[in-house]
Amino acid sequence: MKLCSDLLDADSRTFDDAPFDTISYELCSRRSDVIMVSADLSKYTQMHSLKKKLPDQHLEVGMAEQNLISVAAGVSKAGYIPIATTFACYATRRAYDQMLICMGTSPLTNIVIGFTPGIANPARIHHQAAEDLGMIRAIPGATVIDPMDVTEFDQALNTAVDTPGLVYMRGHRGNTPRLLDPAAYTFQLGKTYQLRAGKGIGILSTGHATQWALEASAKLEHRDVEHSLLHVPTIKPVNEDEIAEFCFAHDQVVTIENHQIVTGLGSLVAEIVSDIGRGPRITRLGIPNRWAPGGTLPYIRKQLKLDADQLADQIVDVL
Amino acid sequence: MRPNDRAGSNLMRRQELELLAAKIRRNVLDICMQRGGYAGQGVALADIAACLYFDELRDDTKGWFHDRFVLSNGHDAIMCYGALAEHGSYTMEELRTYNADGTKVDQSPIEGQLGFEITAGSLGQGPSQAAGIAYGERLKGSDKRVYCLFSDGELQEGNVWEAAMFASHHQLSNLVYIIDNNDLGATGSTTDTLGVEPVPEKFEAFGFAARRINGNNIEEILNAFDEARQIHDKPYVLICDTRLFVGIDCLRAVLPMAHYVAAKDADWEAGLTEINAKITSLTNRL
Repeated sequence: MKLCSDLLDADSRTFDDAPFDTISYELCSRRSDVIMVSADLSKYTQMHSLKKKLPDQHLEVGMAEQNLISVAAGVSKAGYIPIATTFACYATRRAYDQMLICMGTSPLTNIVIGFTPGIANPARIHHQAAEDLGMIRAIPGATVIDPMDVTEFDQALNTAVDTPGLVYMRGHRGNTPRLLDPAAYTFQLGKTYQLRAGKGIGILSTGHATQWALEASAKLEHRDVEHSLLHVPTIKPVNEDEIAEFCFAHDQVVTIENHQIVTGLGSLVAEIVSDIGRGPRITRLGIPNRWAPGGTLPYIRKQLKLDADQLADQIVDVL
Repeated sequence: MRPNDRAGSNLMRRQELELLAAKIRRNVLDICMQRGGYAGQGVALADIAACLYFDELRDDTKGWFHDRFVLSNGHDAIMCYGALAEHGSYTMEELRTYNADGTKVDQSPIEGQLGFEITAGSLGQGPSQAAGIAYGERLKGSDKRVYCLFSDGELQEGNVWEAAMFASHHQLSNLVYIIDNNDLGATGSTTDTLGVEPVPEKFEAFGFAARRINGNNIEEILNAFDEARQIHDKPYVLICDTRLFVGIDCLRAVLPMAHYVAAKDADWEAGLTEINAKITSLTNRL
């Protein structure tokens, strides 16, 4: 694979089991002012070590997401940095007003992590959050991050604890690939990362979908289709110049996201390009504005034409 | 009078607080008669405000309060303004811009405005945030106590009961909820809209120590705050029965159910005349 840097090597990816177990424990070990707050899902977000070894830095509010967000906001007003953790669907849909009012209007650092975002949950509709990025990026002053892997998740969270205001980020759990080399990669808020340089079709992706984009990129390379790939981990505040420069260097742009094609990365890129005018055509790939199916991730991806082969086919079709 | 001045006899203390309450009522009318406002609530809560700001909240020796007050029902900010004018934190000139275009004195304040710890306009979110503050203060070993005012209408919000479960589970004895139990929501009587009673029993079932009082009786308010400080294993809720405009009879007679008041000039003037006479009488008594 022709990459512009040594940030990653998709052919030798490793897998982390229970990444947030390590990330949450190590962060709290370094920062005694961080409190991890959970709403009866700490077992499923995998905060095992923290609960055992640093119980004072874990706060359980029960199965009550409005309380999760508003109690966490209160904890910030006592001088701590709260990190509210639950599934993305509950954090955003169930407690949107609390996130906007209690955290969004506060200058204090308030972090919310939404796990199993998009179609990364087998239970259809109620457990899938296909609209979280769009909801939170609509909040003035909010920070929104969709990390592509464990390396970026870890580094972005360590950046978030020093970022004022509401920070919403998507989390990774379970047996999760580590694509970015922690020794070579440094997350910077707002920065975009070119994972493949080239002409032809310009592909932008974010979060989990950057893994899918890399898979599709390998297929395209095999088919001799020229393309480049830009990873956009920060949805807000976004570096508009970097995105515009990338898009205007191509005649055809494709966005790939683990999110509805409405209000997410595709919409964001379209807004930036249309504000300038006379830009490339933009094709948005992701979850359509209809209910996604349930099941295993490979099954859902295939149904939504988001598996590597169908993604590559759709990218070729834009030419 | 200095905040938290507990010197002097109980009688002196009560009489001084009664005078402060009267002055708070006058301030509320002065502010609301400019362009309307939540005058009925401000007048009704004046006794609680006097006891809270000028007796219960401890002084931090830097001109502010050591303990923390969280206003949940934003429209009751008028009570805070009436009291904070007496405290010297706001001038009446500033406060008379309440409800004016471009004012910095919001009817329902945003976090960061002097005297307001949270953004309070979306109802039912104060009790959880106050509980979070109380949890954090206790965790860091602080002796600060946290007081949160909310309304009986907010008891219809589920978030309040999530907060109650949390506060009780964590035995937050540094937390005191104060409920403005005025049987009034935006469209009318809470009893008619969606009944919330029996409030004390509900909170007791959630693990609180609860006391129901007349929210316009200074002796009962002070006694309840004293009682709350003696409880060390559970949070405390003070259910204050109030009715709009209690303390200014002429306005209570004409506007008994006015959630938001834009009264006639003659009514405002009559109210001011009544409360000014009371202030004179209470001043002469001291």
